[in-house]
Amino acid sequence: MTDDATRTLGKGSAPPGPVPEGLIRLYSMRFCPFAHRTRLVLRAKGIRYTPVQKEFCKTSSCKGHLDLEGRATLLECGRLDGASSKPRHEVININLRNKPEWYFTKHPFGQIPVLENSKGQLIYESVIACEYLDDAYPGRKLYPYDSYERARQKMLLELFCKVPHLTKECLVTLRCGRGCADLKLALRQEFCNLEEILGYQNTIFFGGDCISMIDYLFWPWFERLDVYGIADCVNHTPALRLWIAAMKQDPTVCALLIDKNIFLGFLNLYFQNNPDAFDYGLSC
Amino acid sequence: MSGGSARSLGKGSAPPGPVPEGLIRVYSMRFCPFAKRTLLVLKAKGIGHEVININLKNKPEWFFKKNPFGLVPVLENSQGQVIYESAITCEYLDEAYPGKKLLPDDPYEKACQKMVFELFSKVPPLLLSFLRRQNKEDCSGVKEELHKEFSKLEEVLTNKKTTFFGGSSLSMIDYLIWPWFEWLIALELNECVDHTPNLKLWMEAMMKDPAVSSLFIDPKAFRGFLDLYLQNNLEACDYGL
Repeated sequence: MTDDATRTLGKGSAPPGPVPEGLIRLYSMRFCPFAHRTRLVLRAKGIRYTPVQKEFCKTSSCKGHLDLEGRATLLECGRLDGASSKPRHEVININLRNKPEWYFTKHPFGQIPVLENSKGQLIYESVIACEYLDDAYPGRKLYPYDSYERARQKMLLELFCKVPHLTKECLVTLRCGRGCADLKLALRQEFCNLEEILGYQNTIFFGGDCISMIDYLFWPWFERLDVYGIADCVNHTPALRLWIAAMKQDPTVCALLIDKNIFLGFLNLYFQNNPDAFDYGLSC
Repeated sequence: MSGGSARSLGKGSAPPGPVPEGLIRVYSMRFCPFAKRTLLVLKAKGIGHEVININLKNKPEWFFKKNPFGLVPVLENSQGQVIYESAITCEYLDEAYPGKKLLPDDPYEKACQKMVFELFSKVPPLLLSFLRRQNKEDCSGVKEELHKEFSKLEEVLTNKKTTFFGGSSLSMIDYLIWPWFEWLIALELNECVDHTPNLKLWMEAMMKDPAVSSLFIDPKAFRGFLDLYLQNNLEACDYGL
């Protein structure tokens, strides 16, 4: 079970409190590919997951929080307990078919992902959120330092821009029992463009020999090819298949891989317009 | 000499040679608002550059080797590195060249500029759509949509309580959205911002910027270009030369 395995908040839910210092909050949904990008970057940057704090400590002088087991995890002044002053993140999943009224104060159209920091600053659009995390947090940089290499990664993102829409259309069409040969052809063409890049560069990853931001930005849609029923779209792109295999070896990607059966369960309920779809597979 | 007023290169033209050291080349078109973004940043940062104009209605074959999408603007440096997509070219110039930074250092402020950029994204196709219909069918629907988009931008300025979109001084986001507002002035369509007073004040403030004013589009040439361009005339890009 991945970190973010918590029930969604829907209409009528109480708005969450402010984000404690030392934390950044992600409004998300467990199966959303755009939010998946942000979860990958949070993990890759070492901004570790922490469950949402539910209650304040009852001691009058302490401004700390208690976790779900009643343990104080934040000291006064909002600093994290123990030696760990490492940055952390919490996740609030949103029921996208039954959005909480308060969520529109976080995003004008109620979309995810959205980041909220302890200053109450909100950042949305998955790519903007990922870049913000790379800029704002220390340690491993996911975008290259070199200006030209950074620009190259952003140009690659443009090359990828039709993929999300096409994969979604394939999914919807197949689920409605219709054939999607034209869509798959279009998707294969996009994959050929990406294949050409890998061939020209002669590197495993899109940014070079090591995984970097652009790979994480692409990944969520490739992880979904199988469960969407369109895995054969990479039949003619061997370099892309090698990239997929290499990505699955990455610890960050690995840690966030979504269980196929749970994903299928979600998809089944989603296409039946069941608002409980988003909580499929949660034990509590 | 920047060559910004040079005739465009079209099909059958010889590909240009390598870019001389110390300069950066921009493939452009005199009336393209996307390329205008890059020219504004080059000017604002004082970057030595040369301009090669491309006939967008009759593109040279070699140009697709520079940008597979065949669009302007494209940057090419003396190392032969090529950068395309206007926003990417602008960010590249800001990062690679010294002098005044147009994008903020603060990660949140930088993210805010990018969010405003997204907010603006419906304006270019809408404005073009509006201009296509001007003398033909009823364009009130498009006009209303345009007003709606302008209202979103107005809200940003109202909430920020600053003259410019990035704060009290002009910065990247202002240059990125400027070229379409320049069109409104050149075409005497200022009424489009009548109901958005802060946006109107912003436009007036922009006109005072040295880079903006030195690169201001010639209204007569622009109108001539637009007429020909909307008719898909091959000579459009060189109108007025």
